[in-house]
Amino acid sequence: MKGLLSWNVLSGILNTMIGLATPFLFAALGETFAQTAGVVNLGVDGIMLLSAFAAFYVTLSSGSLALGLLAALLVGLAMGLLMSFVSVTLKAEQGVSGIGLYMFGLGMSSLLFKVLIGTVKTVDGFKPIAIPLLSNLPFVGPILFRANILTYCAFLLVPASWWLLEKTNLGLKLKAVGQNPAAADSVGISVSRVRYLAVCMGAVLAGAAGASLSIAQLNLFQDNLTAGQGFIAVALVYFGGWRPVGVLAGALLFSVANSFQLWVQVLGVKVPSSLAVMLPYVLTILALTVTANRARQPAALNKPFERGES
Amino acid sequence: METKAAASKAAPAKPGRVEMRDIVKCFPGVRANSQVCFDVSPGEVHALLGENGAGKSTLMRQLYGMYQPDEGEILIDGLPRSFRSPADAIRAGIGMIHQHFMLVPTLTVAQNIALGERSGRWPLADTKRVVARVRDLAEEYGLAVDLDAYVWQLSVGEQQRVEIVKALYKGAGLIILDEPTAVLTPQEVDDLFVTFRRMVAEGHSLIFISHKLGEVMAIADRVTVLRDGQAVGSRMISETNRDELVHMMVGREIKQLEPRALEAGASRLRIQGLRALGDRGTEALCGIDLEVRSGEIVGIAGVSGNGQRELAECLAGMRAASAGTVCLNGRDIGAASLNERVDAGMAYVPEERMRDGAIGEFSVKENVFLHDHAARRFRRGIFMKARAMNEHAAELVREFSVKTPSLDTPLKTLSGGNIQKLILARELSRSPALIVAAQPTRGVDVGSTWYIHQCLLQQREAGTGVLLISEDLDEIRALSDRIAVIYEGVIVGIVERDSASVQEIGLMMSGVGA
Amino acid sequence: MKGKSKLIGLVLAALVATGAAAAPVKIAVIMPSATTDAAFSQSMWGALLSVQKELGGEAAISLKYTENMWNVPDAAAAIRDYASSGFDIVIAHGSQYGSSIQEIAKDFPKVTFAWGTDVNTYGLPNVYAYTAAAEQGGYVNGVLAAKLSKSKKIGVTGPIEVGDAKTYIDGFVQGVQSVDKTIVISKTWTGSFSDVALMTAAAQTHIASGADALTGSSQSVVGSIGAAKGKGGVLWFGTQADQAGLAPELVVASQVYDWTGMLKDILAKRKAGKLGGVAYTLTLDNAGLKVAYNPAYKLAAAVKAAGDAAISGISKGTIKVNP
Repeated sequence: MKGLLSWNVLSGILNTMIGLATPFLFAALGETFAQTAGVVNLGVDGIMLLSAFAAFYVTLSSGSLALGLLAALLVGLAMGLLMSFVSVTLKAEQGVSGIGLYMFGLGMSSLLFKVLIGTVKTVDGFKPIAIPLLSNLPFVGPILFRANILTYCAFLLVPASWWLLEKTNLGLKLKAVGQNPAAADSVGISVSRVRYLAVCMGAVLAGAAGASLSIAQLNLFQDNLTAGQGFIAVALVYFGGWRPVGVLAGALLFSVANSFQLWVQVLGVKVPSSLAVMLPYVLTILALTVTANRARQPAALNKPFERGES
Repeated sequence: METKAAASKAAPAKPGRVEMRDIVKCFPGVRANSQVCFDVSPGEVHALLGENGAGKSTLMRQLYGMYQPDEGEILIDGLPRSFRSPADAIRAGIGMIHQHFMLVPTLTVAQNIALGERSGRWPLADTKRVVARVRDLAEEYGLAVDLDAYVWQLSVGEQQRVEIVKALYKGAGLIILDEPTAVLTPQEVDDLFVTFRRMVAEGHSLIFISHKLGEVMAIADRVTVLRDGQAVGSRMISETNRDELVHMMVGREIKQLEPRALEAGASRLRIQGLRALGDRGTEALCGIDLEVRSGEIVGIAGVSGNGQRELAECLAGMRAASAGTVCLNGRDIGAASLNERVDAGMAYVPEERMRDGAIGEFSVKENVFLHDHAARRFRRGIFMKARAMNEHAAELVREFSVKTPSLDTPLKTLSGGNIQKLILARELSRSPALIVAAQPTRGVDVGSTWYIHQCLLQQREAGTGVLLISEDLDEIRALSDRIAVIYEGVIVGIVERDSASVQEIGLMMSGVGA
Repeated sequence: MKGKSKLIGLVLAALVATGAAAAPVKIAVIMPSATTDAAFSQSMWGALLSVQKELGGEAAISLKYTENMWNVPDAAAAIRDYASSGFDIVIAHGSQYGSSIQEIAKDFPKVTFAWGTDVNTYGLPNVYAYTAAAEQGGYVNGVLAAKLSKSKKIGVTGPIEVGDAKTYIDGFVQGVQSVDKTIVISKTWTGSFSDVALMTAAAQTHIASGADALTGSSQSVVGSIGAAKGKGGVLWFGTQADQAGLAPELVVASQVYDWTGMLKDILAKRKAGKLGGVAYTLTLDNAGLKVAYNPAYKLAAAVKAAGDAAISGISKGTIKVNP
């Protein structure tokens, strides 16, 4: 236990946490937009998978990380359009269409991987960028200011999302459409258009989450690379009470629990590994029960909008 | 001065004469409007009168661009216009205040008003401009609103004010108000009418949708009556009277209710020191004492949210009391379950009829037997006696004139009035000793309301005790032998039917006159 | 006419007979991961392909596979489908499939089943079992790692502490300790076979805590390569399949499972009419296990000599490794 308390280990835990939190932040903040506008997109994991593949494949074949990232974002956008078409235009049950999207992403990424790559390959992903001066700060420097560009983006996205939701005209529209679509409609806002936008924004960010896995953190692609991270991201949105700062708290909590349990094992603390790996999930469930607050849940979440139904 | 100039510049021109010609609108299975003609002149209050389901809201939603007419045309100042969405109607200077307010509860008042407006500070939401202009509007029309409050914090009356301010802010010259008084106290209605008059004086025209005759007579210049989707006729208010309008609305004579004088008999319900918590964990009932005797209707009057719902739920056994006793026919039923209370002779007509009184997806017949499916005369062993059940259901439907295509129709497709009649039929068929009726005619048409009132009076004559909880003061005053006024969980006063004026009761309801 | 028809009959019979002789042996294999996993499943699929090539190609042996059968009920259904659709040999390549084999094999007495890694044939005449003495190669890798580690810290990662993953690591620990008892070995288990991100984080954690040599069950190789790439000086020791191709700069040596000998033996026994009942164990001695040095890694001769000594010691029985 003594080993656990050293500065070195603490810094290691926090450093791992920052890395693990990156895809969660992208995906969960994106999902926050979609859900604020009243659409639950359960297909996040599928979008992440297909985007992760696209980013990896394009980077592998072109050698350009920028092109890889762009490919991931475009795949995200396409998947977002698909999801909005099915759930907004066709008004299909959101849960089912989201799961459908997930299955599509899972199967498609696996198939393309098999056909186009087929084996374990790696790329040189985004390298950590040390921010001058800040990265030399004791303790926090190595933790916060020596990350890759996507991690910086993910963390900057938290205040950006807050600003967008709370301060901008678009934020007002998103909330109105998610809380009372009839009210938005009655003042001339196109509910469909706003929902399309929200779902697509979310999907593009899920694409970024996929890219952050395959070309920044892991630098490879495997079948089911995300291993359900997209679903955890959806849960983090509930956890965070549909607020960016809450999502940040949830992503950090989940990630720190994971990195903590890894360190506990590495340092040989006498805890059965099966208990250690449960820790993040147990902690998340506990935190959810303690903080469960549906007061902020968008009232029209999961409900397709039909004019004149009231 | 400068802001005022900006305000008038931003406002669209007030529409002049608005005319709807031969409007036809069909929904699957329903012809909601057929060949309806309707017009409004500038500076006029035009009431649109009709029962629920007569097609009033449908007609107005077409004027507001929410629906498009199947046939017919809409003219503004003589020019045909077609509105494909509310945005088009708003641009043409038309505003609408819906029965269910079109407000987003989690946004502030200012944000709600800014919603859908072009922002002057894009991409930021422009609430600054809202603040400046609303100040002028508030001055001009006497409409005070707290711009920084969240909508969920506001009372219903305040929310309605926000809706009116919002419509004015958007520059509406013609405002459609869909049943605006349904949720207000008498005082609030008076205030609203004052606002109406100021708006008309400023040159606005109003369309006032209602089924309440008294209000129509009080505020409108002209009235058009709709019945079954057709315009029955238009009258100047000065040239018509109540009876004529009722006749136009219902299609037949409706006799005024005249409860016979009766001696109240033995105690049916006795409530002593009843206390209970509300949904938010605060005390909603703070010591209620009340008695209802045989052959008596006791009305509970009060502004919504003063403990009426909790009282009804406590009596029905759906909410636990924290203190006090409830006796039915002298027997303490405080700890009894809902079923035991029904067996002891209580009938309950709930406020949320689709939540607590019936199951919308079930058929009419199944709803009749929600409680009684296990009664001996409807079952043989564990099997239901289909024929006996069919006959019983058919009899009730006939007797209470419930309009339904068949016994197997899902209940939710019936109108509010018919659903309520069915629930009442079910409850009364058990010959109860006490009826607890919570908002029995809310959202129910005039004909059905009259019928339900008749039923309650008949029950009274048959010796049943009736506790009538209603936010409609006219209803309370028409039926009750005694009126108990509830305010913040306490009965602040009990008056005999004819001994108190509306104003006195209204003051008690607002906690002043007690 | 009669003679002619007799002749035709003979020709037909001959044709049928040669046809029957030419019909290939049909083998199906059910695997828990992908045939391209560079580890457990790939080791079996690769062995099958090389046996097929050696014994006469597709004319002699026809192969079918079903991969990614994490879900045991799905795998059981696949096993039954293959058995009932005329396959001669059905291989269930995963210790989690044991109970399915026990149940299904009884219903298809003419079909040969093989499963592993385990030693239990359930007393059934048509079931072969196979396993690998993974601790032996583990020991050799342990010796190499101990000789090469400068920080005297070694990290072990894997999904779950069971099966040959566990025996491999037990052998590895014994190998390390035979060289230097002061070396610290820390282990992390991620609890998931598919969570690459977490495996990567686990490997990163080891590296951050000072480990300069890593090993672990095969599934974790991918994450470890991701983590170690670009760090320099971190070594990887593989198992189950030759993992040198994945990261030539990291891999020192891999314990390789070579199932070909066992497969050929099963085919021969089946031809001779013995449908099952034998349990195989791959060892260094019977050449089922091999230690493949990565040719791209410049291994010091003294270290390689220590590794070779361990191999021969285990083969001869002078070094005992406990599973």
